[in-house]
Amino acid sequence: MLSTFLSHQKKSFWRSRNRGGSIAAQVVLGLFMLYFLVIAAALGFGMTVLLPKVFPKVDVMTSFNGIILYYFAFDFLMRLQLQELPTLSIIPYLHLKVSKSKIVDFLNIKALFSAFNLWPFLLFLPFCFITIAKQHGILVVLAYILSIFSLMLLNNYLILFIKRKSISNILFTLGGLVVVSGFAALEYFKIISITAASDIVFRAITKQPLLALIFPALTYLVYKINSVFLRKNLYVEELSAKQEKKVSTDYPFFNRFGKVGVLAALELKLIIRHKRPRNTVLMGTIILAYGFLFYKPQVLQTNSFGMMLFAAVFMTGMSIISYGQFMFAWQSAHFDGLLSKKIDFKDFIKAKFLLFTIASTLLTIAASFYCFIDAKLLLLHLVAYLYNIGFTTVMVLFLATYNYKRIDVSRSASFNWQGMGATQWISIFPFILLPILIYWAFNLFHLPYVGLAAIGLFGLVMLLMRGFWVNFIAKRLEQQRYKIAEGFRE
Amino acid sequence: MILEVKNLKKVYGDKTVVNIENIQIEQGETVGLVGNNGAGKTTFFRMLLDLIRPTEGEIISKNENVSQGDNWKSYTASFLDEGFLIDYLTPEEYFTFIGSLNNLSIADVSAYLTQYGEFFNNEILNSGKYIRDFSKGNQVKVGIAAALMQKPEILILDEPFANLDPTTQIRLKNLLKAQTGSMTTFISSHDLNHVTDVCNRIILVEKGKVIKDFKTDENTLKELESYFSA
Repeated sequence: MLSTFLSHQKKSFWRSRNRGGSIAAQVVLGLFMLYFLVIAAALGFGMTVLLPKVFPKVDVMTSFNGIILYYFAFDFLMRLQLQELPTLSIIPYLHLKVSKSKIVDFLNIKALFSAFNLWPFLLFLPFCFITIAKQHGILVVLAYILSIFSLMLLNNYLILFIKRKSISNILFTLGGLVVVSGFAALEYFKIISITAASDIVFRAITKQPLLALIFPALTYLVYKINSVFLRKNLYVEELSAKQEKKVSTDYPFFNRFGKVGVLAALELKLIIRHKRPRNTVLMGTIILAYGFLFYKPQVLQTNSFGMMLFAAVFMTGMSIISYGQFMFAWQSAHFDGLLSKKIDFKDFIKAKFLLFTIASTLLTIAASFYCFIDAKLLLLHLVAYLYNIGFTTVMVLFLATYNYKRIDVSRSASFNWQGMGATQWISIFPFILLPILIYWAFNLFHLPYVGLAAIGLFGLVMLLMRGFWVNFIAKRLEQQRYKIAEGFRE
Repeated sequence: MILEVKNLKKVYGDKTVVNIENIQIEQGETVGLVGNNGAGKTTFFRMLLDLIRPTEGEIISKNENVSQGDNWKSYTASFLDEGFLIDYLTPEEYFTFIGSLNNLSIADVSAYLTQYGEFFNNEILNSGKYIRDFSKGNQVKVGIAAALMQKPEILILDEPFANLDPTTQIRLKNLLKAQTGSMTTFISSHDLNHVTDVCNRIILVEKGKVIKDFKTDENTLKELESYFSA
């Protein structure tokens, strides 16, 4: 029975409608995974060398023991945010002649297919075999492996249980992060120490390997609780997140823009009320930290704006690109409805421009705190801002008229590559390359500020031409409407 | 004549899905489109709303080709499927949005909605849910009420009776009957009882072609039943 379930899963992947896209996405995702796995393996094998360097005055065993519980604390938080509940796939089986315990088994086994369940092996096992085996013998190594393996499964099923109890949300994760960093701080000020606790636990295991059996026992307990809970609550509506009362909202700010404002408010609600677009936009704010990587004193002194321009354009325009590259697919579920309503294509496009401009303006204001590093950066950001609202917006919206890939916006956010296609990859290049090319052309003659001015002017001219671009893109959209609508219907 | 279909054809690959020579619809008519699955009803409606490009032919709404202008949108309201709803809005927000496209203020919209308390069975307004959280029947109610709110001259509904409970089916029939005269209505349905009851003209389609086109009278239901049981 289990193998039938798994083969159905395999089929659902290979036969999904946008198979091409999802295979490409899996390949990219696979490469990412491979990258992280290689890093984990490298860290794992290098731990013998690295640990004494990071914690110079401490015995290697003590520091290794110390990080194990820490790792699983972070693992817990990461899983809380990223690990998905395998629920929806069981709906077609619930009414059939399949025993509930089989279905529960299937859910439990399916939950094991997660990258989180690979990392601990690569990270910790090499050290166990290299160092611990030498110092304490094979029995202790087995005890360590058993403990680590059990802790991993413990996290795996504990997360599923917590998520099913649906007390998980982003605040919860942030809270957990605060708690863990709180412990780290306490550790730093030598008040309480997880490291010490972790060390004590594993030192005890080194002395008496049989103590390691506590972990599998704990894990089994959690696994059992999880299974029993699942068995009792195998109703789809109870397995998904709880409903809270929804309220109607109104954004008075947008009222002044008339119908354009109405459409912009509509899209803002779309962003706020769906996880994937919300995360996509939030990405844009996280990228604000890029400046710390690129704005280095010596680069600032010599006025070499080239690489800094890269960061500035990214910081002030990332949300335009990351959200805009999937346009208008965010609205694919109701695109037919929009087309049949009395909506002017120009208003439709203007609303997007309005949102992009607001987003970029807010990001630019937020990024101005970099002026504490150097006031020149304000100028750089202004240039990048003009470039983004002038050029990037136009480019993104123009490319959007070539995007026929549906997005089911209600599906979850992490590692969801639905709607990815060639258009999405193409859009990134001119966005980054163009300003740098303009700048380099002037920089050849040692005119960095003129180069910046040229980019700013380019953005400004594009901005002044916005009326023209609105008409141009609206016309494109009108021509493409059948094709886009057809693609969005699948 | 408010709506005319001329030599309309839609071909997918080598399959002709819609092939209609001519249909003329007068103002105030309530037309029922009847046919089995695959008869091309939804494709036809989509072309009527300019959502699909016809392979050949044209649809003329008040002397204007629907694929060339936008004027028809100001007097045409429609509800084909859930794709016409914006499902992450609350019903109130959706009505306000549709109202604002038709220059209705929030007060106008809520005044309009008060008369729908019965139709909504008090399950829709102030429910604290997004449209996506409603049952299919209630979603259909939202879509139909939003379409009627636009006070359209042409109303297009695809299978409005499906998914509705019996009480609401009867209420909807009364609503549609009350509007006849002023509004031209185009509905499709698999329920022969309902269409013959509501419509004064029936168009029977099969494999994209118009088989019969006639005014309803007391014999219509029998005629249709004998056609479909054959």
